[in-house]
Amino acid sequence: MQRFSYNIKKWEKIYRYAVLFLMLFIVLFPYYWIVVTSFKTLEQISSAKNIFIPNPFTLKNYYHLIKDTHFPIWFKNSLSVAVTTVAITLLLSNLAAYSIGRIKFRGKRLIATLILVFYLFPPTVIFIPLYLMLNKVNLTNHLAGVMLIYPTITLAFSTWFLISFYQSIPTELEESAMIDGATRFQAFRKIILPLTLPAQTAAAIFSFSWCWDEFLYALVFLQDVEKQTMNIGVYEFSLADIYPWGLLMSAGVLMSVPVIILYVFVQKYMIRGLTAGAVKE
Amino acid sequence: MRIYLLLASLIENQKMIQKKKTKEGFFLREEKTAWIFILPLILYFFSLMIYPFINGIFISLTRKLVGFPPIFVGLGNYIDLLHDWVFHRVVRNSFIYTFGAVSIKLGLGMIMALSLSRGVRGLRFFRGFFLLPWITPTVVAGLIWVWIFQGEVGFLNITLMSLKIIKEQIPWLAVPNLALFAVIVANVWRGFPFFGVSLLAGMQSIPDEYYEAAKIDGASAAQRFFHITLPLIRPVIMVCSLISIVRTFNDFNLVWIMTRGGPARSTHIFATYTYETGFLSFQWGRAMAISIYITPLLIVAIILLSRYLLKER
Repeated sequence: MQRFSYNIKKWEKIYRYAVLFLMLFIVLFPYYWIVVTSFKTLEQISSAKNIFIPNPFTLKNYYHLIKDTHFPIWFKNSLSVAVTTVAITLLLSNLAAYSIGRIKFRGKRLIATLILVFYLFPPTVIFIPLYLMLNKVNLTNHLAGVMLIYPTITLAFSTWFLISFYQSIPTELEESAMIDGATRFQAFRKIILPLTLPAQTAAAIFSFSWCWDEFLYALVFLQDVEKQTMNIGVYEFSLADIYPWGLLMSAGVLMSVPVIILYVFVQKYMIRGLTAGAVKE
Repeated sequence: MRIYLLLASLIENQKMIQKKKTKEGFFLREEKTAWIFILPLILYFFSLMIYPFINGIFISLTRKLVGFPPIFVGLGNYIDLLHDWVFHRVVRNSFIYTFGAVSIKLGLGMIMALSLSRGVRGLRFFRGFFLLPWITPTVVAGLIWVWIFQGEVGFLNITLMSLKIIKEQIPWLAVPNLALFAVIVANVWRGFPFFGVSLLAGMQSIPDEYYEAAKIDGASAAQRFFHITLPLIRPVIMVCSLISIVRTFNDFNLVWIMTRGGPARSTHIFATYTYETGFLSFQWGRAMAISIYITPLLIVAIILLSRYLLKER
């Protein structure tokens, strides 16, 4: 069958591209501005002339950020928190999603509803009691405390996201393997897991980027300067009397790079994840 | 993909015979397995979300001064807040922030999706870039907008002055209404791609034949939009808007990073005021009461959303 051709008028095409490029400009301009500022000298940053190109070009901001601040430690902290959270998230959400997506049992709908509730549950409502709770067991001001809490923001989505992938694999596949004598775990590992690998990657990257972005819990739970995550450390630069723009923008570049790299690799799945639930596949 | 489908159909018959024999016992064992697998997740949610939440409700009914045990005050904190002018501002700001930002995001998202939807090249190129703000850490997004809106050498003021649109520098983040506007701008920048991409996915799932038929019948572009596109992507619009309303209403990060609720509390919203009351004044009971005031809205949103999202499950 011949594909329906879109006969859109010329002026409509021009108009659409104009809109798209305008939006592209609005979206991308702040990035250009971050990068440009990060390579400027203090003198140039505080001047209103010749603002578009760093002149002279300098790496001082980056040097200063890495040598004289705790940024490398914060970066490491953020990374270890994010990786641990992703591991916990994948473990718990896979178990649950597998069960909800592939096994028939009573109360399934209730569980699915609960997961939706947890997905929307805002940290705003629980951060104070959580803080008081963790304070009692001396887990505040510890990265371990944050690692324990962060799955509250990733688990529900990850489970919700994975359920649909588990549902899309025919049950006959593993049932036959199990009838042939494989245990459920063997059937899972040999047959199901390889098929859900792309989804696992996407769930992992979603969770990672949320941990990378998390601000409120880190602000509340981590006080010592060498225990903070990157977001809090960098935010606290901005509490100085004068904003150190060069430093902030170079930090901004270094903080964005890891998630942007991840994003480039899994764009396709990110889009599926973004629209999970909202759009029927 | 094809291989496993083939496999599945080949073993179908054999399996059906065996399944009949084992069904009863199999099913009971299955049910138990299912619950064992779900248990860790449920335990986690109950101990780190439900329990703190219930605890929080109790805290909101108490008043505690440093060095003394908490006193039960019933609804005292809630009633006090009704007489607190800052809380009035917080409610007003939260609604302006949420509905202002969400409606602009929906509008821009719709324009983006319509422009990209049918007959335009470079879909992946545009979509790829459009999603960048959504993955950028909030701290970076917040600080870059503070920098753009900065009073003396911020990009916006420099540009507006050189274009002779304004005569004097505008201290965007130091004037109450302008600060709220600036925060909304940053929120929109970060959030509209989510709408655009979701709406686009919704539009792409509409069969071409609908448009073809409508065109043959002589429907105009506007008619096609209002009679085909809009009704069919209504669920997507609802889901995105509801999720965004919940997220924006409970936002803390962007506002705290950009303004810390200032100037003169003109950008304080529920979460920032909760934080300030709790962690800067240490009035835990009052702080909890502020955040519990959000829950009715949250419950409504969850009920509406579950209608759309749980349909097929």
